[in-house]
Amino acid sequence: MDVIQVERIRKRFGNKDALTDVSFSIPKGEIFGFLGPSGSGKTTLIKILTAQLNPTSGQASVFNQPAEMMQQSAQKMRFGILTDNSGLYERLSIEENLELYRKLYNLPRSSIDEVLQFVNLSGERKKKVNLLSKGMRQRVMLACAIIHEPELLFLDEPTSALDPVNSSHIYKGLRYLNEKGTTIFLTTHDMAEAELICNRVAILYQGQIQTIGSPKELKRQHRENVVCVDLINGEAYELPIDEGTADQIADWMKRGLIDRLETKEPSLGDIFIKMTGSELL
Amino acid sequence: MSISLKRARAIFVKDYKEFSRNYAVSIMLLFPICLALILRSAPPSLLHGAIGIVLNTSFVILPCFVQACLIAEEKERNTLRSLMMTPATTMDVLIGKSTLVFVMSAIVLTISTYILGYEPASIWAFVAAIILSIILYTAAGTICGLFSQTVLEASLSIIPVAVIFTGAPGGAFLVDDYPILKVLEYVPSSQLVYLLGIPNIGFTTGDLLKPLLIILAWTVVLTIVSVVLYQRRLKDE
Repeated sequence: MDVIQVERIRKRFGNKDALTDVSFSIPKGEIFGFLGPSGSGKTTLIKILTAQLNPTSGQASVFNQPAEMMQQSAQKMRFGILTDNSGLYERLSIEENLELYRKLYNLPRSSIDEVLQFVNLSGERKKKVNLLSKGMRQRVMLACAIIHEPELLFLDEPTSALDPVNSSHIYKGLRYLNEKGTTIFLTTHDMAEAELICNRVAILYQGQIQTIGSPKELKRQHRENVVCVDLINGEAYELPIDEGTADQIADWMKRGLIDRLETKEPSLGDIFIKMTGSELL
Repeated sequence: MSISLKRARAIFVKDYKEFSRNYAVSIMLLFPICLALILRSAPPSLLHGAIGIVLNTSFVILPCFVQACLIAEEKERNTLRSLMMTPATTMDVLIGKSTLVFVMSAIVLTISTYILGYEPASIWAFVAAIILSIILYTAAGTICGLFSQTVLEASLSIIPVAVIFTGAPGGAFLVDDYPILKVLEYVPSSQLVYLLGIPNIGFTTGDLLKPLLIILAWTVVLTIVSVVLYQRRLKDE
């Protein structure tokens, strides 16, 4: 079953197209990455899917209902969202912020302890939000977005302000949520992040999807048909994958000369640059 | 339109905690009491004028200004957008956010009226007018807050409300010279002053009903406008 279906979505602001003819679907239980540079239309799409914006044309449905229905309370219980537009109450503590969300979602008290553990902030619960670092704020906002264990989670650059240790903690948590059944729609310009946690990714550039598939598939599609060989004597070769190379490698192996052997796979960042001719910023 | 009192109460409690730690805004609670203390020495013949000034000024400063600041601060810090993404409905948010301002205004204005020693012709009509006016000015504050992007903008946006609503009773005195100013007699603050000036004996129910109905009409219109405006803000167009 598809949780999100997007068909030929177009969104125009003034005389500029933010999204052009965007189509894709996301099955239940997937972690889907929407990759692209800043201003490529990623946040606009999240806003359309959460009924904050109407598309100029095309259709979007979430949970098999038109995206506009996401304004209803019953639907809002089913998804969580963390975007650049998320905010926290500065004069309240972390716990008081979460207490508000707990009550709005009608959850038991234990949900606060669970979510604080999830974002690794159990020891800081009494701290006022205005005293928190940017990374800690991001984790509190994530906690507010997932406190009700949503079926669908929209994350807009969730680890942009986090250090590698906290990012890795969040990835672990997202995988755990995903294993429990949460479908995750993630936007990022961090290709390594996408490669690490996404089942499938779409690359968005200037409002259009350039390619879509699993990171593995995309890398296979765009890999150069060469094999790189480093020999123990320091010589390095880039050879075409054919019968002659196979014989040559077999010979080097028999003689114990190979130090390193690998196919030349591009990263998602390389694929992005190849497809758009532009750097990811 | 569904209302969840649980959610509205959660927003009220959150607002109370934030407000009690926001000294720049919470100090406004003292203004009506200070004004009442200054004007309590007014002679009895001017008492209804004094209570009119205290109430009409306080309505702009308490429900209107404070509500505008609370809403604008939520917009400035993006918390209103986060709140809009939760299951809380338009009415949950607006009721939750308005209740704090309503309760505070009611308490402070009761104290101020007591300090002034004002005795209305009909306590029920007086209470009804005060309740309607608090709702009316809270709705005006909500509208100002929703039109503003920052707290500073909200402070400026209430200036037209302050000038028109507080100045209307004074402007209505110039009707003989400028007939166009007759329209100011229908502003809720002028109707409140009229109601406050009704003598304790010899009044009819009609004398009380007319100003109350005009204030009620303003309250209904501004409340509807604030709800519609909030619902439009649910979209980020």
